[in-house]
Amino acid sequence: MKQALRSTLFSILLLMLCHPAAIAQDQSTQAEKEPVIDVMGKVVDHDYLTLVGVKIYLPRILIVDGELYVFGNTNSAIESGEFQEIDGYLVRADGTPVSLDMSITSHLMYVWFGIIFSLIFTIWAARRYSRGVGTTTEPRGVTQNIFEVLFIFIRDDIAKEYIPADKYHKYINYLFSVFLVITFMNLFGLLPWGVSATADLTVTATLAGITFFITQFNGSKDYWQHIFMFPGVHPLIRIILTPVEILGIFTKPFALAIRLFANMLSGKILIICILGLIFIFTDIFGPLIGVSSSVVWVSLTAALYILKAFIALLQAYIFTLLSAVFIGMAAEEHNHEDHETNVATATEVNH
Amino acid sequence: MMGLLGAGLGAGLITLGAGIGIGLIGKGAVESIARQPEASGDIRGAMILTAAFIEGVALFAAVITAILALGISV
Repeated sequence: MKQALRSTLFSILLLMLCHPAAIAQDQSTQAEKEPVIDVMGKVVDHDYLTLVGVKIYLPRILIVDGELYVFGNTNSAIESGEFQEIDGYLVRADGTPVSLDMSITSHLMYVWFGIIFSLIFTIWAARRYSRGVGTTTEPRGVTQNIFEVLFIFIRDDIAKEYIPADKYHKYINYLFSVFLVITFMNLFGLLPWGVSATADLTVTATLAGITFFITQFNGSKDYWQHIFMFPGVHPLIRIILTPVEILGIFTKPFALAIRLFANMLSGKILIICILGLIFIFTDIFGPLIGVSSSVVWVSLTAALYILKAFIALLQAYIFTLLSAVFIGMAAEEHNHEDHETNVATATEVNH
Repeated sequence: MMGLLGAGLGAGLITLGAGIGIGLIGKGAVESIARQPEASGDIRGAMILTAAFIEGVALFAAVITAILALGISV
């Protein structure tokens, strides 16, 4: 019984993997000019949300020359006569381009889903702990055990390890919430119609920006001294060192954003590329070999899905870890007595 | 067309560089764990951290190749 259920689930999973390819073939028969698989179309942001195969169009909020326009969806914006669509972008009927597009998009919705799921998860766990389950007794149930493992992992192995002992408790809130939100956002990308919002540079840049501001606002005196006035080096070397250090402030969060973005994006593109091999084989060797080779490609995609699930967790961990490392580096207070004694002995020798 | 050529060559070079880098990290980590198995937890943490830095640089380049291959003019 269990075996039968498992094999059924596995076949459904395989069929779901075939689904995007099937849709792409439908589209190609309808419009000859459309590419067979629109690689970027599966990855970029949309003005609709696909839930279980149903397209839900999302509201458009547009600001043109200081005037605010709110529409139920893109079509109603065009039908109202105030906007027209040129090359996939909305432009006001008199030709003025949109100055600020505040529309709710699919990626934004998935960010919200990630936040809502993390809130439900943490508030549920907090209520259980305040009722005494887990504090007076041992944690009960799978979900609470998962929560406790994750939380203790973030606290002991990330926060305590990389942030000075007297300050780390202040940052656990941020580190744990960013870990949960990124994990949920990454894992949503594994659902059949899901989108991983972290495959969008704006989302990851926002997250990295939060880390950037926390790092700068909690920088100790030593941190800024090491950037502008590196202690214990020759003044002429500071001319080279100071610009490099100032650049380093910005490259760290930039690398943080690009790393998460590129990892999630490459996973998606890889799966689309491997499924695309079915069509390439059909084109070159004919439909029989194309269809029979799809067994290989679809099972390879299934293996990649497992890898993607692992990468989703790993990237959330790496983002949290590097955030903790950067915050810890800035918050650390050095013991400068060594430098001072060195300088003192050097001056004595000179005299 | 030139963009595709550049992207293909670039992807190969990225893989080469990142592969050598992460391979050296793995070599160092395995050797250290073999010498000092009790420190394997710390070594694993340091390994993932350093590999993440290399991966970051490699992915910068990967994004550039993707831009080249898809012909997006920036």
